[in-house]
Amino acid sequence: MGDEYPTLFRSEQMSLVQLIVPTEVAHDTIAELGELGNVQFKDLNPNVNPFQRSFVGEIRRIDEMARRVRFFASQIEKEKEPIPIRPLYDSAPLVTVGPRAAQTIDELDVKLAEHEARLTQMNESYQLLSERLRELVEARHVLRETAVFFEQAATRETEVRNSLDDSSAPLLQHDDREQQYSSGELQFDLEFVAGTIDRARLSTFERVLWRVLRGNLYMNYIDIQEPFVDPATGAETRKNVFIIFAHGDILLGKIRKVAESMGATIYPIDVNADKRADSMREVTGRLEDLQIVLYNTGASRRTELTTIGESLASWQDVVAKEKLIYETLNLLNYDVRRKTLLAEGWCPTRDIPQIQLALRHATEESGTNVPPILHELRTNRTPPTFHRTSKFTEGFQTIMDAYGIATYQEVNPGLFAVITFPFLFAVMFGDIGHGFIIFFAALSMILFERKLGKADLGEIFGTFFFGRYIILLMGVFSIYTGFLYNDIFSKSLHLFHSGWDFPEQHGNETVVGASNGHTYPFGIDPAWHGAENGLLFTNSYKMKMSIVLGVIHMTFAVCLQVPNHIRFKRYSDIYTNFIPQMIFLQSIFGYLVICIIYKWTVDWSKASTQPPSLLNMLIGMVLSPGQVEPETQLYPGQSTVQIILLLLAGVCVPWLLITKPYLQYQEMKRVQGQGYIGLGADDAPRLTDDTTLEGEEEGNGRAIAEANDEEHEQHDFSEVVVHQVIHTIEFCLGCVSHTASYLRLWALSLAHAQLSEVLWNMTLANVLGMPGLVGIVALVIVGVLWLVLTISILCVMEGLSAFLHALRLHWVEANSKHYEAGGYQFVPLSFARLNEKQ
Amino acid sequence: MSSSLPAVYVLVLAILAGSGGWVATPKGPNQTLVRTSILLTLACCYLMWMVTYLAQVHPLERPRLSVVE
Repeated sequence: MGDEYPTLFRSEQMSLVQLIVPTEVAHDTIAELGELGNVQFKDLNPNVNPFQRSFVGEIRRIDEMARRVRFFASQIEKEKEPIPIRPLYDSAPLVTVGPRAAQTIDELDVKLAEHEARLTQMNESYQLLSERLRELVEARHVLRETAVFFEQAATRETEVRNSLDDSSAPLLQHDDREQQYSSGELQFDLEFVAGTIDRARLSTFERVLWRVLRGNLYMNYIDIQEPFVDPATGAETRKNVFIIFAHGDILLGKIRKVAESMGATIYPIDVNADKRADSMREVTGRLEDLQIVLYNTGASRRTELTTIGESLASWQDVVAKEKLIYETLNLLNYDVRRKTLLAEGWCPTRDIPQIQLALRHATEESGTNVPPILHELRTNRTPPTFHRTSKFTEGFQTIMDAYGIATYQEVNPGLFAVITFPFLFAVMFGDIGHGFIIFFAALSMILFERKLGKADLGEIFGTFFFGRYIILLMGVFSIYTGFLYNDIFSKSLHLFHSGWDFPEQHGNETVVGASNGHTYPFGIDPAWHGAENGLLFTNSYKMKMSIVLGVIHMTFAVCLQVPNHIRFKRYSDIYTNFIPQMIFLQSIFGYLVICIIYKWTVDWSKASTQPPSLLNMLIGMVLSPGQVEPETQLYPGQSTVQIILLLLAGVCVPWLLITKPYLQYQEMKRVQGQGYIGLGADDAPRLTDDTTLEGEEEGNGRAIAEANDEEHEQHDFSEVVVHQVIHTIEFCLGCVSHTASYLRLWALSLAHAQLSEVLWNMTLANVLGMPGLVGIVALVIVGVLWLVLTISILCVMEGLSAFLHALRLHWVEANSKHYEAGGYQFVPLSFARLNEKQ
Repeated sequence: MSSSLPAVYVLVLAILAGSGGWVATPKGPNQTLVRTSILLTLACCYLMWMVTYLAQVHPLERPRLSVVE
């Protein structure tokens, strides 16, 4: 396969590179590499506290800017009418590299601070004005309602009773006498307290007052119709206006204190009607002014937010990028002698020219003459695993990576999953109609890829969108398996001549089909559809198919071990692991598959023996080897063959258990015999350490980070033995259980077909024969119901179920045969991923 | 009389198609992916078709209809 291009077959070759970056160019270099997205930086200062790192100050400043940007975003979100935020791809980019970079950031900082100050000030004044507005509205209510009281009181003068006891004379009467001396203006000598209080507290207020003043008060209150809305929280409160008449300063004082403690607001009301009218006019006038001011403040706030909205997306982007750049800069090591920064990181070997180009570009942008230097280092650390995926293969690789990241340069199961996963899904889902539905769903997602990719899709739909290519292939294969199962929405197609002829039926008797010697060439014969014993045939067929497909899939997975053994130069593993495993698998289950196929090719109507049960045959082969009755034999000589196969399988078990540990033991003995001592944790400290050695040689020095941590590969003998025992048991028991596990292919396809048939029988089957207008209406209604249930239950629910089981088959049954999954993911510094995270 | 030989003929066809696909794939970053996909698709589709065909060549059961539609 092409050597020039990287393939998905194994992960790409990675190299450890060291960058020597002059300090002036550092920021721009990292920015350029972030745009490229090809380098994963290692932390060269692992022992340094985050607060002591070199670029902490810059990060703090960027954090402050980020906080401001977040504040703006939340303010814009809170607005009732949405304010447009210009999307990132539409905004002019802010250039943060090059000689003017520092200036740009400073300007941005100042601008953000200004906007924030203005916005907070506007918010505060708006708050204040709203408070004032509320008070004025309350005052107006109070004025209005108390006017009613006073008018009522005036008309009631005449009804006031006289009392013998002066002290208990009604308060109003006292006024009445006063009035006779006045010129006709209504004058009250009464003192009163007027104000507003929460409706809920009113009864408590009244009771407390009654107790405190011992009944020496007259209180009246009225509801305020409109509720007051608190602008900050939006909560509605209902208030009442009250007016309390009492006599004497002490009493009034007590009333005021109680009122304040109960949260009522007191308003000064004048006794005189004219003065009250003046107050009313004044309040109304102030109210109008205040509303105008409030409106203007709101409008200017909106303008401010709209201006902010224009550039908000680009600010967010710049701030996030700068933060990432400085965090990365913190990972670099400052080399005192050369006065440069040292960076170490992993990158794909193939991309090194690209990276060098980017470095040169960064130097040109910043205008200095000293380019950063890149050179590769030799190392024995394991590089991260990187599979170069396209938008098509990304989904498949992700679902296989979810099981585990492949070890560096091991065979990647994701490559094969591109076809085997949708195929196994389709075996469980097979229906032409349902396949079409999911195919078209995926196709529409793909056609609108660019638009949907930019929109925020939410978690559920976003997951479906991410796997659109998987769903597309699943649909295509489902259509194919639907043709093979001859199932379209639980009906079957008669594309070719059937292989069965049915004689005339008289009455209600059962009719048995007669074979006419023709085999239906593509798929299951439609004669089986609706037959009484249809399930008998399809179950047997699907079960056997599951076993055949399963054994072949597992064989393929075992074979994938071989490229791994060759690449990692473990040639002995081929004949200590691979060959015994293969022989074990094939001698029992491969033999079963061959028997299944052979049994199908024999014409049992002309054979001398009855068709034997394959299940009993297999059980008999293991439990009572060598005893095959001539009446139940599949082919002559069967007992001998079966004994040989059983012996082969029996030999493989100790072969697997013993050979590899034995070879390791021999190797160990040989090494010890030659006088070498193993390197381990207990080796003596070296005479010269790495840093001084590195100083002595210029150029290809040793990696700094390597000196800090060592990898121990203990070739402990006992560990190898234990590992091999576990591996053998897992494989041998796994063979049996995994083969049976593939029967889920049969189980799910049966369930799918049955559900589909039940749905049809319970909905459309009842309605298709109905005559007339009623029939048409019923057809439409039931048809819609059928469609909705088909999509929701049969496509979505069954689809998810089949997806899960197909995935399980890949993860457990197939991957356990070859996949080591001991690697770690390559996570390059990439600004594109920033947007993904957001 | 129906025979199992068509399974062999189609196998030969599938192998030919696979070899043709292998040779005809243009060089490029996706060559491995396309080749693997073509071979795997042919293998899976052939297998399933073969199993379906062979299961019906010498059937052990005959369909019984109880009610005429």
